[in-house]
Amino acid sequence: MHNGVHEEAAPANDDAIANIGFIVGDDAVAVIDPGGSAREGRELRAAIRALTDRPIRYVILTHVHPDHIFGAAAFGDDHPDFVAHVKLPGALAQRGDYYLRRLREAFGNEAEGSEVVMPTVLVSTRLDLDLGGRRLAVRAHGPAHTDNDLTVFDEKTRTFWLADLLFVDRIPVIDGSLIGWLKQLDELTTISAKQAVPGHGPVSVPWPATAEPERRYLAAVADDTRAAIRSSVGIADAYKHVANSERGHWLLFDEYHPRNVTASYKELEWE
Amino acid sequence: MGVTLPMLGRAALCSLLLGIALLGPARAEPTEAERMTRWSDLKHTIFGDRVVEAAGDLVAIDAPARAEDAAIVPVSIRVAGTLAPEIGGFYLIIDDNPSPLAAHFLLGPIADAREIATRVRIDDYTYLHAVAETADGRLYMAARFIKAAGGCSAPASKDQALAFERRGKMKLSFADRGRPDEPVKVKLLISHPNSSGLQMDPVTRNYIPADFMQTLDVTYNGQPIFRLESDIAISEDPSFNFSVRPSNPSGTG
Repeated sequence: MHNGVHEEAAPANDDAIANIGFIVGDDAVAVIDPGGSAREGRELRAAIRALTDRPIRYVILTHVHPDHIFGAAAFGDDHPDFVAHVKLPGALAQRGDYYLRRLREAFGNEAEGSEVVMPTVLVSTRLDLDLGGRRLAVRAHGPAHTDNDLTVFDEKTRTFWLADLLFVDRIPVIDGSLIGWLKQLDELTTISAKQAVPGHGPVSVPWPATAEPERRYLAAVADDTRAAIRSSVGIADAYKHVANSERGHWLLFDEYHPRNVTASYKELEWE
Repeated sequence: MGVTLPMLGRAALCSLLLGIALLGPARAEPTEAERMTRWSDLKHTIFGDRVVEAAGDLVAIDAPARAEDAAIVPVSIRVAGTLAPEIGGFYLIIDDNPSPLAAHFLLGPIADAREIATRVRIDDYTYLHAVAETADGRLYMAARFIKAAGGCSAPASKDQALAFERRGKMKLSFADRGRPDEPVKVKLLISHPNSSGLQMDPVTRNYIPADFMQTLDVTYNGQPIFRLESDIAISEDPSFNFSVRPSNPSGTG
């Protein structure tokens, strides 16, 4: 597993800001998120090959965000199934070119080889992948972090790979549905696991206890944004009144919190 | 309160805009002098040879210096109380957008001109200009620079299925008035994609045809509050904040 750094994506970190990794079975390997650039994807592939020569049969793309998926191009020659949420192709069609352009602008030569890779296997509810003596349960979720979130449960080690449905230490990014995310958390936290892998944060954390700060932040954003809308605070100023108690608890709070409130305001003003 | 909305896509405009959008690698950041020239050209295109005065303290345009989401940038235009009764309309110009004249508000007699706000898409780092026009034709200009990019082609709703279900709904809310003779603050939300023609359809992967509000008439008891003539720069789910002075102060609709 690669532990993403808690920085904004930048050339110095090759967009390697997310937790990415792979799981090896008796017959095959599954990659869970190939990383934020082809370069990071190549490094992940080299790490796999240093450990095993079993075929890389699956590359799971947990959601549309560039820090998780632009490494996919590095696995083209393995001809894996690229597994994704049924809504990922739509999200990629809308945002893929924009993300790629931004990656190239920000990273220049470092971004070379990074491409939008379309998924080949789509998951609408659940899909089991057999790696040989090791079964992975891939689940598609309703709108939460994005509208195309997947989680992976490794039954052998009871490891719950939540990707960006779980942020630890780094502030969660709301890019799907705030209310949907809270609902997903209610359900996900009923699932017992030996450990969880967040999309950002330490690579192994206790579950479900580690979900609590995220749930608390999202609930505070929901409560305070509703209050701001009720008291006619405009969308531009709302973040100043929302979840201030959370500031000390999260890295990159000032970079992402105002955007989260803008998105939440737009979602909640229709209630 | 009544709202009417003829919606029309413009195919010709759409293909013209596509041409601009596909021009390739990012161009170099314009110099301040180039930005001034751009504004001077736009001013001439929109107002011809009319004099556009710097508004000083009389008119202000508010927007965040750096937009949190370039597809939903809140912008408000404020006018000093002394000048407000003379104002008959506003122009909102986003200099470096593909279609710079974002909105033209024509105020009715019961509108309060001191503040009007909406949300816009911003495609690149740009100046915003607000020009307030008095009933006798004077033009007062205020400017603000904003850092935001990609708003015109940015993906629409985060939750596509929900946006589709809600399409066409409107929501009107009124703030409480302190005193009966104060203007009533009104917020109007319209659930509509206001597609710019620069966004991709998630299913067909073709560009979504432009489908945006061209005119919006907001009335109270048959009296016009404002007419908006607008364009692709108004954000998805158009939102307007404005104030009304009902001629019959007992009711607010």
